[in-house]
Amino acid sequence: MLDTPATDFAPPTAAASAAAVKSGQSSAVRVVEAAIARIRERDPLLNSFTAVTEQRALLRAEAIDATRARGEPLGPLAGVPFAVKNLIDIAGLTTVAGSKINRDNPPAHRDATLIERLEAAGAILLGALNMGEYAYDFTGENIHDGPSRNPHDLNCMTGGSSGGSGAAVGGGLVPLALGSDTNGSIRVPSSLCGIFGLKPTYGRLSRARSFPFVASLDHLGPFARSAYDLALAFDAMQGFDPDDPISVDSPVEPVVPLLDRGAEGLRVAVASGYFKCKSGEACYAIDRVAAALGANRDIEIPQAERARAAAFVITATEGASLHLDRLRKRAGDYDPAVRDRLIAGALAPASLVVKAQKFRRWYRGEVLKLFTEVDAILAPATPCTAPLIGQQMFTHGDIELPVRANLGLYTQPISFIGLPVVAVPVPLIPLPIGVQIITAPWHEDVALRLAHALEAQGVVAAMRPAM
Amino acid sequence: MKRKITRKTKPARGRPSAKASVKASVKGRTKSTKAKPHHATPATAKSDPLDALVVAGTQALRLPLDPAWHGSVKFNLQLILHLGGLVDEFPLPDDAEPGPVFYA
Repeated sequence: MLDTPATDFAPPTAAASAAAVKSGQSSAVRVVEAAIARIRERDPLLNSFTAVTEQRALLRAEAIDATRARGEPLGPLAGVPFAVKNLIDIAGLTTVAGSKINRDNPPAHRDATLIERLEAAGAILLGALNMGEYAYDFTGENIHDGPSRNPHDLNCMTGGSSGGSGAAVGGGLVPLALGSDTNGSIRVPSSLCGIFGLKPTYGRLSRARSFPFVASLDHLGPFARSAYDLALAFDAMQGFDPDDPISVDSPVEPVVPLLDRGAEGLRVAVASGYFKCKSGEACYAIDRVAAALGANRDIEIPQAERARAAAFVITATEGASLHLDRLRKRAGDYDPAVRDRLIAGALAPASLVVKAQKFRRWYRGEVLKLFTEVDAILAPATPCTAPLIGQQMFTHGDIELPVRANLGLYTQPISFIGLPVVAVPVPLIPLPIGVQIITAPWHEDVALRLAHALEAQGVVAAMRPAM
Repeated sequence: MKRKITRKTKPARGRPSAKASVKASVKGRTKSTKAKPHHATPATAKSDPLDALVVAGTQALRLPLDPAWHGSVKFNLQLILHLGGLVDEFPLPDDAEPGPVFYA
């Protein structure tokens, strides 16, 4: 067992770091050096980084300090360190996507669009983060790089597949990180690591120059320690990108100016039926958030269990299609748990896949009708708090379920139709748990307003890491 | 608030959810990265139609199948077929649109 001593370390937020740099209270170089020191001290325990771009970060920080010295304006994220899941391209580094196989690829020649946009806003890239192999994972474990570890109990999972992103932000190494979410890979680690995560509307944020998993379900999005920081990052990354085929040419809609509108006038309901919580922690979290938002009605998301089943089928088969050639040539180099699911997906009948896609369209139509009655729906983000690393099964109500396949049972029916979600952390001792705030497509503003209001009430918060 | 969930820890690493698949996975990890494609015997295939599908399907797609992987692949295929069945039984009109890309 690893020790997880209590600490009074209060990780800085992105907004606080940027304010300090802009005011001259600190410099970008000092902020970056402090982040590097935290990574050196704490990451040997958390195992969240797979590459640290120290030189690049210091050069960038010097450039930002020089800009300030010239009296020129700084961006909203000036001097804010961030890191990205290692399926997102970083120029000069190989994009490994949590795999052994991709380590043989040449280095990326250009940063991913979202890195370029964050840096244009003044943020400073500090490196690449651990993840489940090829993003086919809910645990945060990786047989090649080792598991990322939960900052609140190093013996526990971070959740996945963006496990390094959860550990790095939850552990206070960086205030901001990027991850991907195909079936829950932003929301699950947000919940288990006790931080804020945003899965945007499908097509809202560019995925250009990131390694795909299931193209028709893949999203990229940010992790942070406050709703305000999520909004800052979201605003910096918005905008059409012709390099991503599914990027929607919709207007940029800044959310930061809207945050203080709070929850007033918003109709919020709690998802019932399939989403009914079954653990004490998940129920406590939902009840607290619902009470704070005055959400006193339940709403049934129709056929959610079937939606999850359809998402599972599409994931297995579309993922298999992506990996078919690699499976032929290098099957032995995969994590066996990933390989065997991909091979199975390759054998599934196409007739079921088309049915799943048809169902998806029907389900989307039905769920969108709900948003004529309410503005947001609350649901648990995970069925339980962080399981132990290596744990195979967990108790869900009165049944035992496999951990790996089921940590995302509440997230899959939502990302299946591309709805935006903010996962908010409810602090609990010893481990936090998250709640999903789900809104209609293109209404990230509503979810972020509600998250910000909950934070102001002290109902949700990123816990200090216990290490 | 106390945690109520009972943890049932098992030896780490093998992650498929059936014992057989865990065993298969652990064995599979030790194989050479250039293992020759190797398929289950016809005798195994006769015992369950799904075994035959795993063997024939991997052969048709030119995918390798170490015998140690067979159980785990079969388990995962069963799961996909089970969940696909849930979708299949849901009535939809003939003109239901399968296009996967959707805009708000």
